[in-house]
Amino acid sequence: MGITIENVSKSFGEYLAIKDVQLEIPSGDFIALLGPSGSGKTTLLRMIAGLESLDSGKIHFNGVDYSNKPVKERKVGFVFQHYALFKHMTIFENIAFGLKVRPFKIRPSKQEIKERVYDLLKFVQLEHLAERYPSQLSGGQKQRIALARALAVEPEVLLLDEPFGALDAKVRQELRHWLREIHEKLNITTIFVTHDQEEALEMADTIVVMNQGQIEQIGSPDQVYHHPVNAFVYRFLGRVNEFCDSDNEISYIRPHEIALKKSAQGNSVPAKVLHVHSVGSLVRIQLNRLDTNALFEAEINTEKYQEIGPLKKGDLLYASFSNLVVFGNEQKEPLTAIL
Amino acid sequence: MNTKTIAQANTVSLQGLKKWVLIGIALAFLGLFIVIPLIAVFSEALKKGIELYFAALTEPDALSAIKLTLITAAIAVPVNTVFGVIAAYAIAKFSFRGKNILVTLIDIPFAVSPVIAGLVFVLLFGSQGLLGPFLEANDIKIVFAVPGIILATLFVTFPFVARELIPIMQEQGTDEEQAGRILGANGWQMFFRITLPNIKWGLLYGVILCNARAMGEFGAVSVVSGHIRGMTNTIPLHVEILYNEYNFTAAFAVASLLAILALFTLVLKSVVEWKSRKE
Amino acid sequence: MFNKSKPHRVLPAFGLSMGYTIIYLSLIILIPVAVLFLKATTLSFSDIWQTVTNDRVIASFKLTFYTSFVAAVVNAIFGTLIAWVLVKYQFPGKKIVDALVDLPFALPTAVAGIALTTIYAPNGWIGQLFEPIGVRIAFTPIGIMIALTFIGLPFVVRTVQPVLQDFDRQFEEAASTLGANSTQIFFKIILPTLFPAILTGFALAFARALGEYGSVVFISGNMPMKTEIVPLLIVTKLEQFDYAGAAAIASVMLIFSFILLFVINFWQWRIAKKHQVA
Repeated sequence: MGITIENVSKSFGEYLAIKDVQLEIPSGDFIALLGPSGSGKTTLLRMIAGLESLDSGKIHFNGVDYSNKPVKERKVGFVFQHYALFKHMTIFENIAFGLKVRPFKIRPSKQEIKERVYDLLKFVQLEHLAERYPSQLSGGQKQRIALARALAVEPEVLLLDEPFGALDAKVRQELRHWLREIHEKLNITTIFVTHDQEEALEMADTIVVMNQGQIEQIGSPDQVYHHPVNAFVYRFLGRVNEFCDSDNEISYIRPHEIALKKSAQGNSVPAKVLHVHSVGSLVRIQLNRLDTNALFEAEINTEKYQEIGPLKKGDLLYASFSNLVVFGNEQKEPLTAIL
Repeated sequence: MNTKTIAQANTVSLQGLKKWVLIGIALAFLGLFIVIPLIAVFSEALKKGIELYFAALTEPDALSAIKLTLITAAIAVPVNTVFGVIAAYAIAKFSFRGKNILVTLIDIPFAVSPVIAGLVFVLLFGSQGLLGPFLEANDIKIVFAVPGIILATLFVTFPFVARELIPIMQEQGTDEEQAGRILGANGWQMFFRITLPNIKWGLLYGVILCNARAMGEFGAVSVVSGHIRGMTNTIPLHVEILYNEYNFTAAFAVASLLAILALFTLVLKSVVEWKSRKE
Repeated sequence: MFNKSKPHRVLPAFGLSMGYTIIYLSLIILIPVAVLFLKATTLSFSDIWQTVTNDRVIASFKLTFYTSFVAAVVNAIFGTLIAWVLVKYQFPGKKIVDALVDLPFALPTAVAGIALTTIYAPNGWIGQLFEPIGVRIAFTPIGIMIALTFIGLPFVVRTVQPVLQDFDRQFEEAASTLGANSTQIFFKIILPTLFPAILTGFALAFARALGEYGSVVFISGNMPMKTEIVPLLIVTKLEQFDYAGAAAIASVMLIFSFILLFVINFWQWRIAKKHQVA
C-alpha cells in the first residue's frame, strides 16, 4: 500500500502540530519518522491511522482519498507506545480481538481464528503465552504480542509509535533486528516513529526527519547522515562539534571526522587534552583548541588510540578539521560547543 | 474545513445526538431523584409564608433540638477525627498482619443498619441491658438521654475520617517521613510538619462528611433518644415529630435547615476537591 | 541484620497509634456489637428460630432484600450512565451536577424521607401524575424502592467515575484500529474494565439499602406483611420492649451485612492486588 500525504496541517487549539506536510511513501517501504519530542511525528502517524482528523490537506492510500475514512475501515495495524494490550483479555483473546469484531459475514470461524492466532504466536515465538494475561508478560514480550495483534487483521500498513521506547537497551537491540526481519518477510509498508537517531539509521529504508511540525529532510539513512540538508538534520543525526569563526559563520564536524596527530601537519591546529574516556571499541577525547580556545570532542578507535596514546590531561595534540560543513542559509545562533 | 464530507458530517451529528440523549437521561434521572426533592423541601417550608417559617425555627423545642444537634456534632466530630488520623497513621504507615481485617472492622458502621447501631447501645445501657442495673443503681442515664445520642452518633460517624485518610496516606508512602527522621525531626515534629500537612485536604473532606452525618443521623439516634421533647430531640427527630403530627409546614421548615447544611456541605466539598486538585 | 520476627520500624509510635486504634474500635464498635449477639443468645435456639421465621418477619426480610436489590440494579445502570456523562461529555452546569450527585450522602435521611413522600404521595407533584393510571408510589414497595434508589445513587457513580477517568484512550484507539465499532468498543473493552467498579458500587448501594431506615420509614406506609422493612420491625419490637426479639432479628440482619462487607472488601483487595502486579 502506497501512501500519499498532501499538504496536511493540524493544530491543537493554538498549537500548530503539523504544518503543510507533503510525503510520498512507496508501497513496501520501511520508514522512520525521526524527530525530537513536539516535532509532530506521532501526530502524523496518528493521522495516517485515522486517530486524528485533518484540519486541511488529504491522505491517499493507493491513490484513494482516505482523509475521512473511519479508523476501523483503514486496514492499518497500529502498535502503541505502551502496547495498549487489553488487560482483561488473555494473550490469545487480545490477538483474536480484531478477527472476532468483524461483521458476521466476513468473520472467520472459531477454528480459523484459533489457527490464525496460533500461527501469529508461532511467528512471534511466544506460543506458550497464549493463556497468560498481559500483566504477566515482560516488556519485550508485550511488544511482540502487540505486533502480533496488529498483524492479525492482515493490515496493509503497519504503524508503530516509539515501538522500543519503553524497553531496556538489550531487548531493544534484539527487537530492532527482529522487526527488520519481519518487515523483510511480510513486506508491508511500515512506518515507525522514533526520537532515537541510531534506531532510525539502523532500521529504516527511508528516514523522514521532522522538526516543529515540518519535514526537514527525506532520504536514505546514508543520505541524511552524510548529506544533511541543514544544520538541524546534521545536529540531530549524530554527535557534532560546532565552531564559530570571526564572521559569525558556524561550521560543523562530527567527532570521528577529526584527525588527531602527535605532531603538526599541514593546517592542523594545536589542542590540549582535557579528558579521555573509552567507550567500548571507541575512545572519546575532549580537547581545547589553543588558537580559538574552543572546546571540542574527537572520537577514534582503540587501535588509533594506541598509536597516539596513552594520553593524559594536558597532553598536546594536533587536530585537522578537513571535513568542516557549513550551511549557508543558517540563522545565527549563540556560540556553544555541543557535544 | 474543506475536507469535511457529508458522510463525516452525518457521523458527527449522530455522535452529537447520542451525547445529548445520554446527557438528557442522566439529567432527567438526577432531576427526578435529587433536584425535585430538594426543591420540595424549600417549597413546602415556605408554603405558608416566611413568618410561619421563622416561627417554626424559633419555637423553643426547635431551638433546643438545634442546640442538642450542635452539642452532639461538637463532641462526635473531633473525637472521631482524632481517631481517624491516628488509625490511618497506624494502618497506612506500617505493615503488619491482619491489616485488611482491621480496615474491614473499621468499616462495620457503614454496613450496619443505623437502627441496629442504636439498638446495640439500648441493649448495653438500657434498663434491661447488660449494664442497666449498675447504671440505675448509680443513677446514671445513658439511653434516652444525651450521652446515648452522642454514643450512637460516634458509632455511625466512626469510619468517615479514617476511611478518607487511609488511601491518601497509603499512596503517599513513608519516604517523606523517613527523610524527616534522617534530618533529625522527632516524632511530633515529623507528624505535625510532614504527615499532617500532606493530608490536610483529605482530612478536611473527611471532617465535612463526618459532620454532615453527625448532624443528620436519624435511625440510630431515634432508637436511643426516647423522643423526649425539648430534652433528647435532635433536629432530624424534631422533623419526624412535627411531620407525624401533620404539622408539615413546620416539619419542612426545620428540615430546610438540614437541607441548607447539606448544600453547604456539598459546596465545601467541591471547594476542597478543587483545592486539593490544584496542589 | 534485623530480626525477621520483629521488623524494625523507622517511624515512631506504631504501638501507641495501633493500641489507641484497637481500644477505641473495641469500645465504640466491637463490644457493643458483641453485646447484641450475646443478647440474642439469651434466647434458646428454637425461640430465635421462631422469632425470625415468623410470617411477618419473613415478609419483611423478603421485602427488604427485594426492594434493595431492585434499587441497587437501578443505581448500577443509571449510576454508570451518569458517571459516563460526567467523564466523557462537556455541558453547561456540569460541575453543579457533579456536586449534586453527592446530595444523598449529605442530606439527612429523614429530610429525604419526608420530601420524597410529599412528592410521590397520591396528591404530590409526581404522585398525582400516576394516580389516574392507577399506579400508587408512596406507601407501596415502589415508594420504598424510590427512597432506596435515592440513598444509593452516589455509590455507583463515585466508584465508576474514577475508573472511567483513568481509562486510557489508547485502549479504545487500539480497538478501533483493529476494526471494532463503537458498540463493540463499549461492550468488549470499556464495560469489562468498568465491571469490577460497577459491581462494587452495586454491592455498596445494596448493603446501604438493606439497613436504611430514615428515608424509607415515611414513604413506606409501614403496613405489616406489605410495606414493613426489617429495620422498622426492629424498632417496633423495641417499642414493645421485646429486646430479645429485636436482638434476634438484628443479629440475622447483621450476619447478612457482615457477609456483604467481607465480600466487598475481599473483592477490592483482589482488584488492588491485580493492579500492583500490572
